[in-house]
Amino acid sequence: MDGLQLLLNGFVNSLTLVNLLACFVGALIGTVVGTLPGLGPTATMALLLPFTLPYGATTGLIMMTGVWYGAMYGGSTTSILVNIPGEAASVVTCLDGYAMCRRGRAGAALALVAIGSFVAGTIGILGLQFFAPMLGNAALSFGPPEFLCFMILTFVLLANLSADQPLKGALMIAAGLFISTVGINPMDSYPRFTFGTEQLMLGIDFLPIAMGLFGISEILFIAVDKYVKPQVQKIRLRDLYPNRQEIGRSVMPMLRGSFLGFFVGLLPGPCTVISTFVSYALEKKMSKNPDEFGQGAVEGVVGPESANNSAVMGSMIPLLTLGLPFAAPGAIMLAGLRMHNVEPGPMLFTTHPEVFWTFIAAMYLGNIMLLILNLPLVGLFAKIAVIRPQVLMPVISLICLVGVYSVRNSLFDVWVMIVAGVVGYFLRHWRYPIAPFIIGVVLGPTTENSLRQTLMMFRGDVTLVSERPLSLALLTVAVLFLAYRIAASFSGKKVPLFVAEDKTL
Amino acid sequence: MERAAMLRLGNFFNLFLAALGVAIVVVSVGYGFGSLARPGPGLYPVFLGSAIAVCALFVLVGDLRAGSGGHGPDRSAGFTLFAMTATFSLWILAMPLLGYVLVTLLAVFSFGKIMRLEGWRKPLALSVGTALFIYVLFDHWLYVDLPRGLLG
Repeated sequence: MDGLQLLLNGFVNSLTLVNLLACFVGALIGTVVGTLPGLGPTATMALLLPFTLPYGATTGLIMMTGVWYGAMYGGSTTSILVNIPGEAASVVTCLDGYAMCRRGRAGAALALVAIGSFVAGTIGILGLQFFAPMLGNAALSFGPPEFLCFMILTFVLLANLSADQPLKGALMIAAGLFISTVGINPMDSYPRFTFGTEQLMLGIDFLPIAMGLFGISEILFIAVDKYVKPQVQKIRLRDLYPNRQEIGRSVMPMLRGSFLGFFVGLLPGPCTVISTFVSYALEKKMSKNPDEFGQGAVEGVVGPESANNSAVMGSMIPLLTLGLPFAAPGAIMLAGLRMHNVEPGPMLFTTHPEVFWTFIAAMYLGNIMLLILNLPLVGLFAKIAVIRPQVLMPVISLICLVGVYSVRNSLFDVWVMIVAGVVGYFLRHWRYPIAPFIIGVVLGPTTENSLRQTLMMFRGDVTLVSERPLSLALLTVAVLFLAYRIAASFSGKKVPLFVAEDKTL
Repeated sequence: MERAAMLRLGNFFNLFLAALGVAIVVVSVGYGFGSLARPGPGLYPVFLGSAIAVCALFVLVGDLRAGSGGHGPDRSAGFTLFAMTATFSLWILAMPLLGYVLVTLLAVFSFGKIMRLEGWRKPLALSVGTALFIYVLFDHWLYVDLPRGLLG
């Protein structure tokens, strides 16, 4: 079957009531979460994961991506209207978005951001649609050494891009990988770190850890913070029309942001956040009036907001083709798919092609839904931003508690979530990145399998990796990157690679 | 004085992680390291334990040399943190006995007061509303079998 026919089949599958509803609910919840300062898309995706279990893998994947995608749309609303980013990928939008708002151009900024997000989303989906199957086919020839080297490179980049101190990133990855070793090892049925307890035999479940680290720790952070009520500017539908000059100035940043974001999405780390900073810097550099940036330059709003939307789609490529989540929301998706017995990776396109193509089709529909939702309802979403956390957080706490309990009817899982939440609070307080931790947890079993299979294949002689060109190339990139970082730190040169994940979570 | 005490908390955390790494190595060696050609169940965790210990020690040394190391929450934040954690824990302990509806009522009321929701009416209305929402969502819609306790 050719690509077009597969896509048409995908549209037929996605046009079921359940999938359309999942797409709409995911996009709506994502937009709401995006507007709410505090709770980020990862925490929400972890929170929603148990609710997707009664439905199929495709429905779950559509809903999860809808949340992530919707949060990118919604995050800009509060950045522009109240100067508070709903999530970290919208921090940059505050700079010029709020300045436009003060000049009475909030409506135009919101409309252009929504259109830019739509364009970027569409370009991102097109990129995913064409590149993912190609890479998936190429990855079919990968053996355990290639996967192991891919993971080593991922971990090196992740440690460097996620934390102000790369060692903290590396520490979190190692800790996450360790958590995944608890329980009976499927390769030799040997129980490890169970200390004779029955509950630990099956290992520590991913969901309570994710909900604790991202949900409960966020609730604790908000509970501790002092609440300041934001002032929201009223937006009417007729305010949403940008003028001809604003439209003209937005076209190229929109396209540049879309392409740039897509490729940044292929990097491990908080790709959506990184894409906005890179796009803002690029637009400022290319602008004829760089002094306008920070004073309400429309390019500084549209470029980054387009970039973060296409970055979401870019980051789906390593997840779906290699089974490697490069960002925390991707790790939640991978865990969700595994709960449905679907293993993303090169085989996805042959064993479950319907999952991929239905997902692609649903994303096209979701993108249109988000545009329709975000333009006329922008005033309503802005009002959501002023809901007091004292009202919202107790309700979310209870959904976390009952949600985690309901998956396996296990109070042990609820304890795991609370402990993970408290640990997560201190980790974030001390600026340890938690996304590498959760990615470590979810990639742990694959890493161990690849390592052991590689060692057995090479009969313990690791130098044989030099006979596999791709593995050697990946390892070389990892070593060169590390050498560059070490050389830069010895020469006292600052390497500004790190972008705080904070509320990307 | 308070600042010095705050600094120590972050440093102790790194020290704990370094000790945890060493403990993982010790326990893993007991599982059987095997050889590189035939890896045993302990080989992979030995690598991870070593990585945790080494990274934590480097972070600790770096923090000590820079005179930093992460401060703990202040008194008021510490109280809020403790009260929130205690409420979560009490929900888990009391749920099998009292049932999820009653503990939800109590927990939401407690969360509301800890998060400085004014008066009694608002927290009460919020707790009743949340308990009803949880009942409808999990019991009626998702058919989750939750302990009903006293209301059973």
